This record gives sequence, C-alpha cells and structure tokens, in this order.
Amino acid sequence: MSVRLEDNVIHLNGSCGIADVEPLLVLLQSPPGRAVDLSDAGHLHAAVFQLLLAFRPPCTGHSAESFLAAWLMPALMPAQKGQGSALDPLGPAAPDPIH
Amino acid sequence: MDELLEQFLIEGRELVQLAADDLLALERDPADMARIDSVFRAVHTLKGSAGLFDFAPMTLALHAAEDLLGTVRARLLAADRGVIDTLLACISANEAWFASIARAGVLPASAGDESEALCTALRAPLAASEHTEVVAPASARKWLTTLLDRARNTLPDGDAMEPAITAIRYAPTADCFFLGDDPMALVRSIPGLLYLHIDAREAWNLENFDPFACNLRFEALSTAPAADIKQVFQFVPDQIEILPLRRNKFGATLSDRAETGDLADDIALRTLRVDASRIDALVDLVGELIVAKNGLAHLVGQAAATDPVLARALAASHAEIERLAAAMHRAAMGVRVLPLERTFRRLPRLVRDIAAALSREVVFEVSGGEVAADKSIVDGLFEPLLHVLRNAVDHGIEPASARRAAGKPVVGRIALKAERSGDQIVIAVSDDGTGVDPKKIRAAARARALISDAAIDALTDHQATQLIFTPGFSTASAVTNISGRGVGLDSVRASVAALGGSVSLTSETGIGSTIRVSLPQAVSVTSIMIVRAGTELFGVPMNVVAEVTRVPPARILPIRDGEAFVLRDRTVPLLRLSSLLNIEAAPRAATDARVLIVAFGDQLVGVQVDSLGDRSDVMLRPLTGLLASMPGVLGAALMGDGRVLLVLDLPELIG
Repeated sequence: MSVRLEDNVIHLNGSCGIADVEPLLVLLQSPPGRAVDLSDAGHLHAAVFQLLLAFRPPCTGHSAESFLAAWLMPALMPAQKGQGSALDPLGPAAPDPIH
Repeated sequence: MDELLEQFLIEGRELVQLAADDLLALERDPADMARIDSVFRAVHTLKGSAGLFDFAPMTLALHAAEDLLGTVRARLLAADRGVIDTLLACISANEAWFASIARAGVLPASAGDESEALCTALRAPLAASEHTEVVAPASARKWLTTLLDRARNTLPDGDAMEPAITAIRYAPTADCFFLGDDPMALVRSIPGLLYLHIDAREAWNLENFDPFACNLRFEALSTAPAADIKQVFQFVPDQIEILPLRRNKFGATLSDRAETGDLADDIALRTLRVDASRIDALVDLVGELIVAKNGLAHLVGQAAATDPVLARALAASHAEIERLAAAMHRAAMGVRVLPLERTFRRLPRLVRDIAAALSREVVFEVSGGEVAADKSIVDGLFEPLLHVLRNAVDHGIEPASARRAAGKPVVGRIALKAERSGDQIVIAVSDDGTGVDPKKIRAAARARALISDAAIDALTDHQATQLIFTPGFSTASAVTNISGRGVGLDSVRASVAALGGSVSLTSETGIGSTIRVSLPQAVSVTSIMIVRAGTELFGVPMNVVAEVTRVPPARILPIRDGEAFVLRDRTVPLLRLSSLLNIEAAPRAATDARVLIVAFGDQLVGVQVDSLGDRSDVMLRPLTGLLASMPGVLGAALMGDGRVLLVLDLPELIG
C-alpha cells in the first residue's frame, strides 16, 4: 500500500499506481483539507496526480525522485509558484502577451 | 533612435525578408510545410515585436496575415497564387513601413488605410473557406503560442544554442486509465524534456469526481527530434500532436528581450549585429586618423630643424602610427565584406513582379549568393542587376505564344549566377529568350547615328552586340513601363563601372543571351574630401590634406602678387583653388576663409576653397582618352547621387 494516513497527514510512498486512486480519493474527501506528504513518493500515476491537481491539498516534502521533483512538485506546491514553475495547474488563463 | 526600436528595425527587416523568401519558395512548392511554418513564425514574431511599439496598423495587418497563414498551415486552405499574392502585398507594405520608421520613426500617414485594405484582402480567402471551420486552426495553434510564451522564462540558459525544439501536446482519452494506460509514464519517458505544463482539459467537477476519467492535458517542449518522441507515443498516435519547431535563427526573438531585458543569449551567439552606419562611422574615423597622422609627418620635418634627436624619435613613432593606421583601415574595410546573398535575395520577388506586370512566365534561379565582396559592391550591385533582369524579362524572354511557336518551353528561364574568378567576381545573368540579333543592333545604331556607318561595318558581331551598352541605345520597338524608360543598358555599364567593374554581353539569336558583370572583390577606396571652388565641386584625396583650418580675412597678408598667412609661427603661402583651376571665384566673403593645408615638398601650402563638403569613400577611376593628359586631375569618382566628381591632384596643381 503506497497511501497511508499518519497524524492526519496523507503520505505517498514509492510508486503510486492506479490501485492507490480510490484510497487517496477517500482520504482527500473525508474530511477535506488533509495535507499530503510527498517526501517518499516515487512515480505518480497520472490518475493519482490528477487527484492532487483537482483537489489541491496542501502538499509538503521534497521527493528525491527527479521527475516528480522537477516537473510535478512545482505545480502542486503553490509556494514555489512564481519561482519559475513550469506548471500552471489553474489552466489556460495565463495571459498571452503576443496575442 | 531608441535602441529597442533600432533592434526592431534590424530584426524586423530580416524577418520581412525571410517571410518574402519563404512565400516565394511556397509559390514554387505550395506543400512545403517547413516554409509554411517558417513564414508563419516570421510573421508571428514580427507581429509580437510590432506590438511593443505604437504601430497599430502594422500589428493589425500582420495579425490578419498570421490568421491566413495559420489556416494554410492547418491545411484548410491551399497556398495558391491569390493567397501568396495577398501575403506578399502585406510583406511589401511592411517593408515600406519599415523604411518610414527608419526615416521618421513613425509609420506613414497612409498606413492606417493600407492596413485596413490589407486586412480585408487577407481575410477574404478566410471568408471564402468559412464552411471549413476557420476558427479551429487558429485555436489549434494558439496552444503552441501560449506554451512558448509560458515556457519562455523557464527554458534553461543557453537554449538558444539548441538546434531544434519539439513541441508536444498530449491529450489522453478519458477512458485511458481503463485501458491500462498511465499517461504520466509516457510523459516521463519524453527524452530531452525542457518544459512541461499539465492542466485540466475541462474544469474539475469536484462534486461528482470521477477519479478514473482522465481529464489531464500535457504540453511539453523537448530537445529530442520529433521522430524520437513519436516513438514514445507510438501507441496513442490519435492523442498526440508533435510539432517540430525550428529555432528562430536569430536566437531569442525581440519580444523575449523586451520582456526579460536580457541579452545573455546574444553573448552565447558569438556574433554581433551592428548597424552598417556604425561600421561606416568607424571607417570614417580611421580616415580621420590617417589625416591626423599626415599632420604628424610635417611636425617631424619641423622638429628636424631644431632638434634632430627628437625628430628621429618622432619619425619612428610616426612610422609605427602609420603602419597601425593602415592596418586599422584594412581591418575596418574587412568588416564590410558581405555575401552577395544580401542583394540577391531581394531579386526573386522583383523578378516575379516584373514578369507578372509583363505577363511573362519566368522561372528565376539564383546561385552563388555566398560569394562575398565589399559592402559598397554588394549594395551597389542591386540597381544594375535589377536593370539587367528587367531587360531579360522584357526584351529577352518572349511572350508565351512566341515561345510556343519557336518550340521552346513556355516558361522562360533566367539564371543569376555569381562565382569567383581570380580576384574578380563574375555575375552572369542568362536567359533563354530571343537573344540579341547583331543585325538589328547594327540597324538601330545606324538609325540613331551612334557611331559612323563605316565604324559600324567594321565591327565584329560580338563587338556590335556590345553597342547595346551605348548611351541612347534602345532596341525595344514597344516602350514598356518596365524597361523602356529612356535609359538603356548604358546605365548598367555606368553603375558597374562606378564599382570598378565591367560588363559584357554574349548572345545567340533565338537561344538566349548572357550578361556578364565582372567586379573587383575588394574595392580600392579612396577617401576624399569634397570641396567647392566657384560653383563647381571637386574631390581632394584626404591623404594629401595635412589639416583643415579657418583663417580670418584680417590675417591674410598680401605678399607681392600673392597672399600668405601665418600658421603656428610659419608663413604659409595661400593659393585659391579657383585660381589654380582658372574658374571664376566666388567673391571673398567677410567670414573666415576655409583653407586646406597641403604638404608640398617639405613646405606647407594653404589652398583656399569656397566651401568644404562631406568626406566620402569613392572608387577612383583614372581618366581615359583625351582627359587622361589633363594636368592636376587624379581621376574621376562617381558619387552616390550619380554625379561625376573630378578628384584633384593638389600637389601637381600647386607645382
């Protein structure tokens, strides 16, 4: 099991696959507002990432997994936004200076 | 001028040229996707840059052009002749606007109306194809624009050096999780990932969230070639868009710079783009240095009389400065060496226009653009070449009916080829048209009484053919507004001669003709100062002028039948240039006399001129024929405005 609740914080451990989607959804929804610790997370299945992107729980921790750290975490941690985050989870609203 | 605007002018003109090149290539091969992409990007960048300034008509017209190109790019509209014509009209208008901006800093007053007309014309093909969903392509490509804009600040340093970038848009189907796909695993395996943006395809429905419906959309930039990326997504080809982007060859676009204010990329590019006028200013400064150095030679002479030791040291120093100044002159002139391409690339569009105006079908081929020559030659070639090409289209290539009757391909062929031959550059313009008939040339020469009948009969056919370059010669029976302007090929010969070159024609009746222009690769440029004596202008080589000074009338002393003045404790004889040349002098004004101090042997002589003009670098041509023995004249120079200036040999005139 890669999803575990500890001190009311959701921990994602190692590779999270499609099987982790349901438990994570339950933990995120009841009650809402729990933080997610990604310190030990590895690969996140698209469905898992999609949950985090949709529900936007506060995410903490710095994973050592490079793809997650480089490309996904910045999108999930609003505090790092603006420091050259490659991800803009709010979607297409960014103003286009040329158009 | 504002530095940003200056940069815009340089880049903008290049982009306009690039777009024109691409459009002409597209005309030949309308399916050339790389060209469509390239012209689209050029127009897009141009539009973005224009938006930084207050050039609304320009932005609007370019926007309309971009929309039209976007439709062509999405293959919803063919790049047919009409579309290319409209786009070229837009590009030409922009060219004219750039000229106006360069001149006055603003668009011409007519730009608003022109832009409106262009927008209407550019939108017309779109309206015609409205049923094929025109909005889609614009938005389809919009993601790319948005992506590039977003990525701009996050791309790692030095990305301008990347040879290519591939843009990827991956929209997994909603049921992909059920099929066992993990889109994230695919995205993770994109090689050379530069940038990744993930967002929701549709707004999240958190109330009734379906965790197994994929609502993600991935957009990425990668340094890997498109083929490698296709490999990764080989099982989901319907969900992926892969677009190879060629890097803008100028590195960062102007809008990048405007936003980041960062020129770091340019340093990485190792080349520096400098306005030609600044190079010319440098060459001018070197010219002044040489004049200043000449002044030093006389100081050496003066010092020799009082302090021989100091004089020797000065002489050594003078020699060193002389060597450096000469080396500097060579180096500065070397900077001005440019490929002929610079002039050649402007020609295809003009040939196309000329052929269209004359209803001729012509294929125009250019080669040898990489051959380099001094900037004055490269720039100076444009007019004569254009004239030769006009002539080839108008008088060389026959109308289609005549060609068909003669059993030739209906489409005429004109080839422009440059090559190096020894220390010369030879540019040949060949056409497969009607050729030049020596009989007709002889008849025309007789009719116009250009030379005596006996002389005409004595000419070989080849010699007779060259008569076409004689002033006043024009064989076309119908005067057209393209080349029948009363100036014939003689103007070509004159402008090529002004560049130090020569021109000749070989021809075979019915098969075609070739005009060969031979030019020196480097010009031997003489820096002259333009002076006026009476009402006439003359050139004086800078290297004989030790200095230029003003002498108040009160300090001019009559000495016997001459005049003199005192310059730094030396009495210097004063001569008037007008009397040296025996031309009527302007009455001596009450203001200071303008005097050139000229070294004559080991003494100085003042030569008073009526006024001093600009300095100029000219091709000095020795006088020929009767004029060759004219004393006091070094040669003649053709000025930029077409005037011929006699360049004087002042020491000879004085002596």
